[in-house]
Formats: sequence, C-alpha cells, structure tokens
Amino acid sequence: MHERLSFYIKRESLLHNLNPLTKLFLAFGLTFISFLSPWYWTPHLIILLMIVPLSFIGRVQREYFSAALRLILPATIFLFVMQALFQPNGKTVIFQVWFLHVTSESLAFAFENASRIFAMVSSFTLFLLTTHPSELMSDLTRRGLPSQFAYVIISTIQIIPQMQSKAQTIIAAQRSRGLDTEGSFLKRIGALVPLVGPLVFGSLVEVEERAIAIEARGFTSPNQKTSLHEFRDTGFDKGLRWVLVLLAFVVIFLKFWLSQTRP
Amino acid sequence: MKLVDSIKKDFNTMTWVLIPVAIAINVVIGEIVALLKLPVYLDSIGTVLVAALCGPWAGALTGALSNTIWGLLIDPNALPWWPVALFIGFVAGWCARGGLFKSWWKVAIAGFLVALTAALVSTPIAVYIYGGITASGSSFLTAYLLQTGQSLLPAVLITNNVVEPFDKISTSLLAFAIIQGLSTRFLARFPRPENVQTEGGITRTQIIIAVVVVIVVIAFYILVISKLVSQ
Repeated sequence: MHERLSFYIKRESLLHNLNPLTKLFLAFGLTFISFLSPWYWTPHLIILLMIVPLSFIGRVQREYFSAALRLILPATIFLFVMQALFQPNGKTVIFQVWFLHVTSESLAFAFENASRIFAMVSSFTLFLLTTHPSELMSDLTRRGLPSQFAYVIISTIQIIPQMQSKAQTIIAAQRSRGLDTEGSFLKRIGALVPLVGPLVFGSLVEVEERAIAIEARGFTSPNQKTSLHEFRDTGFDKGLRWVLVLLAFVVIFLKFWLSQTRP
Repeated sequence: MKLVDSIKKDFNTMTWVLIPVAIAINVVIGEIVALLKLPVYLDSIGTVLVAALCGPWAGALTGALSNTIWGLLIDPNALPWWPVALFIGFVAGWCARGGLFKSWWKVAIAGFLVALTAALVSTPIAVYIYGGITASGSSFLTAYLLQTGQSLLPAVLITNNVVEPFDKISTSLLAFAIIQGLSTRFLARFPRPENVQTEGGITRTQIIIAVVVVIVVIAFYILVISKLVSQ
C-alpha cells in the first residue's frame, strides 16, 4: 500500500564509499552535460558508457534496471509519444493522425529529449540507490548547510509515506460510509472535502506538539552540533568533484563556441 | 538590513515544522485529486498555506523544496517545475502580507494573481525543456493552437493562462478554508498570524461575493484571451 520512499540499498561498493557530496556532484554533472552538450548522441552515450557501468560498480545493477524498466522507461516513452505527435516543426512528414503530423524532425527531437530526461532521472536514481538521505544531510550540515534544512528534508521524507497511508485509511473509511468517489463530476468535487479535511487538520494538529518537542531538544540552539557519523572525504573525492566542475564548464564553452561558428 | 530581517521573521520553529507537513499535504492532496479524476492539480495547497501563515520567503522555500523532493522521490516530471512552485509561494506570501487573505473574495483575487505568475514562469520551462509539449493533458490545447498557426511561445503562454486560473483560485480558496478551520490560539504561534485575521461579516454572504468575483474575473479573462487568440 505505501511505498518505501528511501531507495537506499545498503551494500559495500566503490560507489557507496564515495563521499555523498561527490555522488551528488556526479548526478548533477551527468544531468548538466546531457542537457547542454552540443552533440546529438551525448545523452545516449552517457546512459550507455556512464550510468550502466556505474550501476555495476555500485553493485545495484538489479535494482537500477528494475527501476528503469518499471518507472523511468514508461514515463519517458509517454513523453516521447506526446512530443513526437505534437511537435509542429519539421517538413518530412512520415505519417499523419487526425490533425497531427509526425515528422522525422519531431521524432529526432522527441528521441533526444526523452533520452535526456532518461539520463537525468537515471543518474539521480543511481545517486539515491547508493546514498542514504541522512548521510547526505549530515555531510552537508558539516559543510555549513543550516541544520534546519536538513531537518526539513529528512522529516519530509518520513512524513510523506505516513500521510499517504493515512490518506488511504481515510479514503477507505469514507467509502465504507458510502462516499461516492467515482460518480458524476459534481459528486467527485463534493467528495474532496470529507477526504481532505480530516487529513489536513489531523496532520496540522501534530505540528505544534512536534515544534515543542524539537525546541526542547535544542533545535534553535546556535551552538555547534556534534555528529554521530564519521565522514570519508578522500583526495579522490575532491579530484573527482573538480573534474566534474571542469567538464561542466567545458560543455558550456563548447556549446557557445559551436553555436557561434555554425551559421 | 531590512531584507534580512524580513526573511528572518518568516522562520521560527513552527515554520520549520510546518514546511515538511505542507510538502506532504501538497503531495498527498495532489494524489487524492488525481484519484478523484478532477481536472485540476491542487498540488500547492500546502505551499499557499505556509505562504499565508509564515510569509513569502517561507512560502518560496516550501514550493522549491516540494517540487525537488517530489521530483526526486516520486515523479521525475515534477523536478523541472521547481521555479514555478517557488514563485507560487512567493507571490501568495506577498498577497497575504498585502491583506488579500482576509476574506473569501480577496482570496479569489490572490489566487488569480498567483495563477498569472505561475503561467508566466512555467512558459519558458515548458518551451526550453520540453519544446512546448509537456507530459500533462493541457498540451492538447498547445498542440491545437500550434496547428492553427500560432507560434510556439504564445501558444504555450495561452495554454498556461487558460489552465492556471481555475487551479490556483481553487487552491487558494481551499487553503483559506483550512485556515478558517484552525483555532486562533494555534494560528498565533506562526510568524504572521495578522495576515489571516478575518474581517467581520456573515460568511455566507462573503462566499456568495467570492463566487461572483470568480465568475466575473474569469469571464473577463476569457474575453481577453480569446481576443489574443483571434489576433
């Protein structure tokens, strides 16, 4: 009923042992390059030559491929079909459905765009599979991120599944009372209030209690907080981060340079 | 340092605790609305709630984090839209500070202002990241406008302007209804309780005025849009 929100798989691997920030840089770097690169085949090459091998290095290939097939591929295929049908540009018409023309240009554009999105989602999936969210947050807090941000992100990740299961309970309870959630349009609008009301007020009541609880534990205290975890941040990590930043700049430079030399 | 003070005022412990709950409200109500198959998103009620109770900066932060977390953990298509959510929270917050969250019809106007901002900010994202055609149902309208000879930017802008007002006005009204259901003692613990201090008057008349205002605004708006399309 309620899905697990953390994708993290606990394993020993080279990728797991990297510093969380390095992995975050890696995910952003791959996304950035696949979106901004001036060559058509870059996103596809990134998927084949970077993301797939990385999933093997991180020893999460099974989980990655199952996520890719179940979640990422359907979403990107849907986007591909929408864009291939609706993109107006291009002259070479391949076939026509109703008022929509599918041209070879729109197909090419849709394919590139879908694989960019695929590369972006894949690299973040890999990141989430190999990094525990609280590990990332403690590392970022140590580097100067205000601890309030860490609290917001970690507690959101915990609250969403709780609230989803609460919503399921409320929907089941109201349906058993005879609430019509599948009837006419007006009935469905009417169903919104008895579903949303209990959910929202129930969770807002907890807010005050939680605020008192964390204030009593020194949430707003300005003192430096100590951490339970130890962090690895090797020279390799630092080097890799610099390489990724450099690559991003090279891609921006190439993009501008090529767009100026080309007519 | 007036700006820093204004930002700082938005954030007390209640704000920090409310933000995760508000993000969860965004996500879960979005899912309930999808389940009921209503033609709106209603996925920023929590953001508007934070914006009204805590101020524009907290609202903007909630919006941005909401879409980021939603995009990373649930639906990757939500990720590129985080600037839209950010501006929704920001504008709703300034509307609340300007006194637009004090009665039903003013809230409807606030929702309309939020909708205009959302339409404006989401247009470049739709055009540059998705080439104008996104994965949402409203893209049928964009595609239709493109086939009738509109160029890309106006087509997307018109689509967004048609879709957003309904969604954002109902979002703001629902957020206001939630605030009405909370006790004054509870509201007083947030940074800006004076934003939502309601004006006197009979609720029923006020709701009727609100409905009239919504109808008038949308009718006028459709007139303007259809003028633009026929140009």
